[in-house]
Amino acid sequence: MDRRTFIKATGSAVLLGPVLVKDVLAAREQSLVVVTEGTDYPAITRKAINALGGMTKFVKSGDIVVVKPNMGWDRSSELAANTHPLVVRAVVEECLAAGAKKVKVFDNTCNDSRRCYVNSGIEGALKGMKCVECKQIETERFKKVTLNGQFLKEWELYDEALSANVYINVPVAKHHGLSKLTLGLKNIMGIMGGSRGYIHRNIDVALADINAHFKSHLTIIDATRILTAHGPQGGNIADVRVLNKIIASTDIVAADAYATTLFGMKPADIPVTVAAYKRGLGEMNLDKIKVVKA
Amino acid sequence: MKFTPARICQLLFLALFLLLFVQTEYRGQDEISAAVNSFFRANPLVLISYLLAAKTWTWLLFPALLMAVATLFLGRFFCGWICPLGTILDLVTTRISKSAPLRSLKGNAKYWLLLPLLSASLVNLNLSGLLDPIAILLRGLTFFLYPLLGIAAREGWVGLYHMIGEQRDTIAPAYNLVRDNLLPFRDTMYPLAFLSAAILLGIIALERYETRNWCRNLCPLGTLLGWLGRFSLFERLPGKLCSDCGQCRELCPTGFDQDALFKEECTLCMECQRGCPHDRISFRPRKKQNVTAPFLPERRLLLGGFAGGLLLAIPARFRSPAKESRLLRPPGVQSENDFLKKCVRCGECMKVCLKNALYPATYQAGVEGIFTPQVIPRLGYCEYNCTLCGQVCPTGAIPALPLESKKREVIGKAAFDKNHCLPFARKIDCIVCEEHCPIPDKAIRSRSVSVVGLDGVSRMVKEPYLVEEICNGCGICENVCPLETKAGIEVFAVKNRTPIPRNRGNQEPQNSEGNGQ
Repeated sequence: MDRRTFIKATGSAVLLGPVLVKDVLAAREQSLVVVTEGTDYPAITRKAINALGGMTKFVKSGDIVVVKPNMGWDRSSELAANTHPLVVRAVVEECLAAGAKKVKVFDNTCNDSRRCYVNSGIEGALKGMKCVECKQIETERFKKVTLNGQFLKEWELYDEALSANVYINVPVAKHHGLSKLTLGLKNIMGIMGGSRGYIHRNIDVALADINAHFKSHLTIIDATRILTAHGPQGGNIADVRVLNKIIASTDIVAADAYATTLFGMKPADIPVTVAAYKRGLGEMNLDKIKVVKA
Repeated sequence: MKFTPARICQLLFLALFLLLFVQTEYRGQDEISAAVNSFFRANPLVLISYLLAAKTWTWLLFPALLMAVATLFLGRFFCGWICPLGTILDLVTTRISKSAPLRSLKGNAKYWLLLPLLSASLVNLNLSGLLDPIAILLRGLTFFLYPLLGIAAREGWVGLYHMIGEQRDTIAPAYNLVRDNLLPFRDTMYPLAFLSAAILLGIIALERYETRNWCRNLCPLGTLLGWLGRFSLFERLPGKLCSDCGQCRELCPTGFDQDALFKEECTLCMECQRGCPHDRISFRPRKKQNVTAPFLPERRLLLGGFAGGLLLAIPARFRSPAKESRLLRPPGVQSENDFLKKCVRCGECMKVCLKNALYPATYQAGVEGIFTPQVIPRLGYCEYNCTLCGQVCPTGAIPALPLESKKREVIGKAAFDKNHCLPFARKIDCIVCEEHCPIPDKAIRSRSVSVVGLDGVSRMVKEPYLVEEICNGCGICENVCPLETKAGIEVFAVKNRTPIPRNRGNQEPQNSEGNGQ
């Protein structure tokens, strides 16, 4: 090897090395998104969890688990404004089967919480289950948390979410007037207290701030039926499309990115996804995500 | 306390009243099967003032007609056997030492209250609820005592959390049981809380002078029932105090002011019969008509009472336009005049309102509108899928509507205040109002426009706009507007409250500009 070749080789190694190493590392932890399809919603939910290694991978015996569906609106389940009750129940059952000591299901609702809990069908679906709590939010339980984010320096988060061992994010996939879509990243708003409307001023960055601080261990997106317009609460059955799909991933950004395609959009179209990706919260490039159809 | 049949009956009705009061709340069902409105629907004062004011019949008040007929045959039994306010007075009066009766309340004072109320009704101002004993009791409970109970219980519960944190969860089931079945869901403060409590306490304070002071000297419902009761088929024998005894005067809580029993004040409690040392007293069908007092009060009183009503009703109509522009009535109320004729001001709608959107008007509707319900959106909005206020309204002043109709009823119309609304005033994104608008096609939509920000940089901002034809004025936009204090969008009253047409509000919009992009 002459000097010239040596310099060329070292030069390119120095320049390309970090990129290659990063690629190799990324490949090792390539984000896995599981997609299941079928009309038996509990079955496809279980199938998706199993394809990720089963609930025991996330929930250890004696754990306190929070399952956070979207049940923010006083709408019945077919209108796709809230997570489907059967999906929520299946996730809760899997947690219990994995040995969870207690599973807590709640949401900081937009409409009257009593009506949301009833009309979403979720309270009813969980009724009578042992070791499962479906309580309404108690405002005194919000704790001010230092985020030191780019937009939110601190915010009130719900103590039951903060103190849980495992947090499972179970959003429904739907349209949203401001953020275009609301998926896993935005469903985190359900553990936020205070005047949540404030974050609309800079919602992409604000959601990245919260999600950077508070991680969802598992994201299961309910796309059994999706709301394609007039979100996030809809109300018109004509805006609902039945897809019979569940998307699950430990990478919340990857789950959101894949779910975006169900609406005929690209992940890059959704500023919330982009902001989270830039923050390093997950992978949004579909060609770098391993999609498994189980 | 002796448990006489009348007393047991009183206590049962008081318990029923309190039970129905607590039940007048959303507890997981869209329909409330039994509410405290039963007490108003069986209230002849509510009936007669409704008939005089609205000049129409409603089957909602049929029980009141039955009650009036029963009173005609039996006498003023309501006051001694049913009235929950009377029962409360009976329960506390033994602990209040008496001075001499107030002379100023004797004579025709009660007619000077009743007659102007009725004649004001005739000229379309239905004020009977202001002095109706059930309404007074209900308002005292709803606006003062119940919130007090709720806040005391909740503050205690929250205090416990701050002391022991999540360990509180161990006793949560017990608290939840109380909260779900007894406590108000939300802590709400009402205007006129003190006035409502003061009227109730004032009535109790009147017991200082004589027993059932309010009932025999002032209560317009009692006066009306007493007037009907004069014709009752029963009489008490003997009709006077016996010369050798006179115990009745001590035993009687109401009617024995003089030597003879005042039939129209007798509440048929039968204390005299039980307490008579000589077993002389009996209540039996009367043989002949021996009404001592004339059928109608004297002419001077009749004319004076009528004139009093007119003098009351007409000057009370002044309203400040500025206040009235924000006077929003509950859903389904299409005409303000019609509403004022029918509303009893009982406070039930305000008690039941799911989001605590309803509050008693203090001055917004003028003197004539005091205690009538109004929506204050910044405090609470009208929940799209809720029909509770119409269900509990005893007179149909707020009509009981099927859900699909109620959704289309117009409370008011929203309007943006561009000096405050963020996308206009500060050139930044927000549209929380659009997100919350419950109309399936969105009465609030937004469009992306290119603006020059306050920092001089050009950017795209979503500006909201209102589709007025499908706005029902529910007020959720104003309620959730993230501005502090004053909202950037507010609901204003409108005269034309024709419901949104059936084919609007749930169709694909012609203008899809604001959707999805």
